[in-house]
Amino acid sequence: MSHKRMGLQPFETVVTAHHAEIYRYLLRVTSRSGDADDLSQETFLRAYRAWERLNEDANVRAWLFAIATNLARNYFRSESRRRRAYTGVSDTRSEVDPASPEETRRFHETRALVERVVDGLPFKQRLAFVLRKLHDLEYDAIGKSLECSPESARAHVFQALKKIRLGLNGHELPMMESVR
Amino acid sequence: MTTKSPSCRAIELDLVATATGDAESDSAERVHRHLDTCASCRDEFGRYRAVDSMARGLRSTPPADAVAKSRAGLESRLADLRQRRVAYRIFPSPLGHILVGRSEHGIAVVEYLHAGTSLRASRLARVEGIEPVPGGPELERLQRDLLDYIGGRRRDLDWTLDWRLARSEFERAVLGATADIPYGAVASYAGIARRIGKPSAVRAVAQALRWNPLPIVVPCHRVIGTSGRLTGYAGNKLGLKQQLLGVEGVKLRPGRGDPSIAREAMYALGEGETQYCLPTCGDIGTRSLSLVTLFASRADAESRGLTPCTDCRPDLHPLSAA
Repeated sequence: MSHKRMGLQPFETVVTAHHAEIYRYLLRVTSRSGDADDLSQETFLRAYRAWERLNEDANVRAWLFAIATNLARNYFRSESRRRRAYTGVSDTRSEVDPASPEETRRFHETRALVERVVDGLPFKQRLAFVLRKLHDLEYDAIGKSLECSPESARAHVFQALKKIRLGLNGHELPMMESVR
Repeated sequence: MTTKSPSCRAIELDLVATATGDAESDSAERVHRHLDTCASCRDEFGRYRAVDSMARGLRSTPPADAVAKSRAGLESRLADLRQRRVAYRIFPSPLGHILVGRSEHGIAVVEYLHAGTSLRASRLARVEGIEPVPGGPELERLQRDLLDYIGGRRRDLDWTLDWRLARSEFERAVLGATADIPYGAVASYAGIARRIGKPSAVRAVAQALRWNPLPIVVPCHRVIGTSGRLTGYAGNKLGLKQQLLGVEGVKLRPGRGDPSIAREAMYALGEGETQYCLPTCGDIGTRSLSLVTLFASRADAESRGLTPCTDCRPDLHPLSAA
């Protein structure tokens, strides 16, 4: 019997389309490539088990993020792991490449500072921030991931931005124009 | 830090949203009107824009080899899961709750649930190497087909089958021979044993059918004892066997203990023959049931390409339908 579904794409295309991004998300959240590896695989195995029951019009990407977030939450239930995760992501390459050596130095300094603030955020603020700013998820999808309302999701991101802003107080920032 | 005026505090949320590209257009308008008159908020706005740009700067690409390694690991685990996965559906029927399960190769299991209405009550939940997962709407068709069959509105279940739950080659052979018994017909355990070339393995045939992973689809209800008694079904569910045979028009005679087949009310086909007979034709009425297949109707016999016997002429003297 064929495995094709009415209207729904085969699961292989879901893996192809989203695996790298979910891996990137979980690497950011756990800071450990081994854990990102495990959790991203587990995300897709869970998704595969539930795939047949997913509504055809469901937002597959948001659904995968919700599964991954749920796994990340369980992962962090162990407090010791959470502390270990603060060591930071070291083996990633930024998408932004500043030009001069001086700029590069300053960029990395500020980036490290922002990363420290982000890593120190409460779980929901941190994940809301990552989902919104690093993965451009809509607030209702973030709300579903974090089991809160879209308004709360928005408030979490706001709090995160505010804390980063305060964390950068006194730090020299490349000022942006303040006109519209 | 300077103390903010009430109007600055009131607009703070919108200011952050606007600076970080998250605001509705009307609140952005409001923020920009405020910025035109408030230097400290202009400064704040600039800082939040910088924060937003730094935040987006955290986007990073994990090393390609790490992603590829994780992907490869995932593919292999998915392949393994796909092999083990059986999507199931449980539904009520006139024969009690039934579970039907499908692997990616075909229908792998039909099970009567005697002890409950959930997966926990099933044998499937305890089969090693199988991962049962709740199925989606595509299993509704199987449910409909089965209910139509049980209700007598459907004669064929033209499903692709997956024999993985058959526990041995012998069992598969038994199931295969049983699957060949046509609708409305009955054969004996001994007859099945002969058909698979193991004429003395009658008890083993009965055992194999007792573990039939695909009852109804593989019609073990059409297999009876050589005495004509129904003998057994799905553990101790003789009533179900009786019901299924009744649906197919097989004539039964109530007896002490088991009911038995009313052989005198059924057409008969001798082993190796292609013509079916009246039960009174020659010695066919007294031949052992290990050598005879019985049919409820001429249509059932003829749908398998059999022709009426040219001696007893069942076509001219059909058995009464009663």
